Amino acid sequence: MLEAKNITIRFGGLTAVNNVSMQVRPGQITALIGPNGAGKTTLFNCISGVYVPNEGEVILDGEHLEGKMGYKINAAGISRTYQVINLFWNMTVLENVLVGMHSRLTATFWDSLFHTKKKREEEKQIVEKAHEWLKFVGLDEYANDRAGSLSYGKQRLLEIVRGLASEPKVILLDEPAAGMNTTEKAELDVLLQRILKMGYTILVVEHDMKLIMNISDYIYVLCQGSLLAEGTPAEIQNNPDVIAAYLGGDE
Amino acid sequence: MQTFLTLLISGLVIGGIYGLIALGYSLIYRASGLMSFAQGDMVTLGAYLGIFYYVWLGLPILVALVLTFITAFLFGMALERGVIRTLLKKNVIPIYIVLATIAVSYIIQNLAQAVFGSTTQWFPQVFPVANLTLFGVTNQTEAYASFVISIILMIALHLFMTKTKFGTAMRGSAMDPLAAESCGINTSLSTGITWGLAASIASLAGMMLGPMYGVFTTLGSTIGRKGFAGAVVGGYGNMYGAMIGGLLLGLAETFVAGYIDGTYKNQIAYIILIVFLFVKPTGIFNEKAIQDV
Repeated sequence: MLEAKNITIRFGGLTAVNNVSMQVRPGQITALIGPNGAGKTTLFNCISGVYVPNEGEVILDGEHLEGKMGYKINAAGISRTYQVINLFWNMTVLENVLVGMHSRLTATFWDSLFHTKKKREEEKQIVEKAHEWLKFVGLDEYANDRAGSLSYGKQRLLEIVRGLASEPKVILLDEPAAGMNTTEKAELDVLLQRILKMGYTILVVEHDMKLIMNISDYIYVLCQGSLLAEGTPAEIQNNPDVIAAYLGGDE
Repeated sequence: MQTFLTLLISGLVIGGIYGLIALGYSLIYRASGLMSFAQGDMVTLGAYLGIFYYVWLGLPILVALVLTFITAFLFGMALERGVIRTLLKKNVIPIYIVLATIAVSYIIQNLAQAVFGSTTQWFPQVFPVANLTLFGVTNQTEAYASFVISIILMIALHLFMTKTKFGTAMRGSAMDPLAAESCGINTSLSTGITWGLAASIASLAGMMLGPMYGVFTTLGSTIGRKGFAGAVVGGYGNMYGAMIGGLLLGLAETFVAGYIDGTYKNQIAYIILIVFLFVKPTGIFNEKAIQDV
């Protein structure tokens, strides 16, 4: 459904991602792994519109997305979280989810201005829906707290649920387990399965190998900007190139 | 007591106008992290637009008000789209963009001079009654109207920013553009709208100043500085702080003029400002609140 074809991006003389192709299949968890600096987040940024790739195509269900603005890519059905959490810190937890629904709202400026029936009904619906999303990740009791006051692990959950609130076709998670403790990681494992069951598709970048091997259906391994290997978790675990890359590269 | 009331009302009237201008500075800072020297000239622009629509074209005052608002909005947005964005795309450091706003400021002033001449123009009386007496204080009717309009505009802006999807989108873009973009918000458009709004609010302030001060090409650059001071006193970047800071500055300078000395009112008001900054460098609304709205 989501396909990145021959993506290349250069920053000055440095080729950060070199001719990488990958496919995300519907209803699966696809993972992107690799040592630090391999270009995982850069590739994510090319897909979600933060960067424009120098070459290559990003296709979602037949629609070309490369080079489009981030908000258009979100409207097309891709949402994401960030490695460094990007919440609206000074809005409430609930407001963060409401902003996440932005691209799915239909009330116009004039509806808001005149507070029409359409606007009032839509508003009631989306607030209810936002509470449902918060219950889904167990954050509803914090709905009216400032997003910045949540613990680190809960901020991650909020960012994920804000991404889901736009009801994307694919959600991109950039290191969702970073900074989480063991309990939170175990919960994340369960949460990702539940998201999958709701019919969403997940593309995830993660460093935690145990988590990745547990949850992924298919794995792509990046190393120094290029695709090193791809396959099922079992295949990746036994791939000598991957083992070499993780144990210390060229030596 | 009578003197006190007179000064209080005059202070609130001019303070309301400072507050509106301060709002513009704060909006721009929230959206782009920049200070625009052209903000004061939006006041001048508004005053001349008012003359253009109301006197030259002879339109009803309310129509002139709305048209001024719209024209200034488009102008503010064009400034952001045309000048600010172009420079941002070239990745210059912010101070270059601030310099560009100084350039725009002079361009507006000289353009106004070219079109309307360098003599002060008088904005004709708007209301059938020239003066109005409230609480035993007689003042120009336009002055009272200006205070009412200032308050209405502030409340409207508050509702727009907190209750509408567009306002929330604008707050989101200001807080975290990257996250806003991936929530489907067109951050570039919302920055443009913010600059447009800042210009419209200032333009209305200018239109209200017209009947009280007369209209001249440097009207806004002096008053704009006061508005900037108001924004800083309130806590730069905070919407509510800007309104309150503007009101406070207006009251301070009016009371100084009334009780101490009119000739040195600016000097004394600005000494108060500097002392205030020593005591409370974050403005009235503290750091946390500054990030808030």
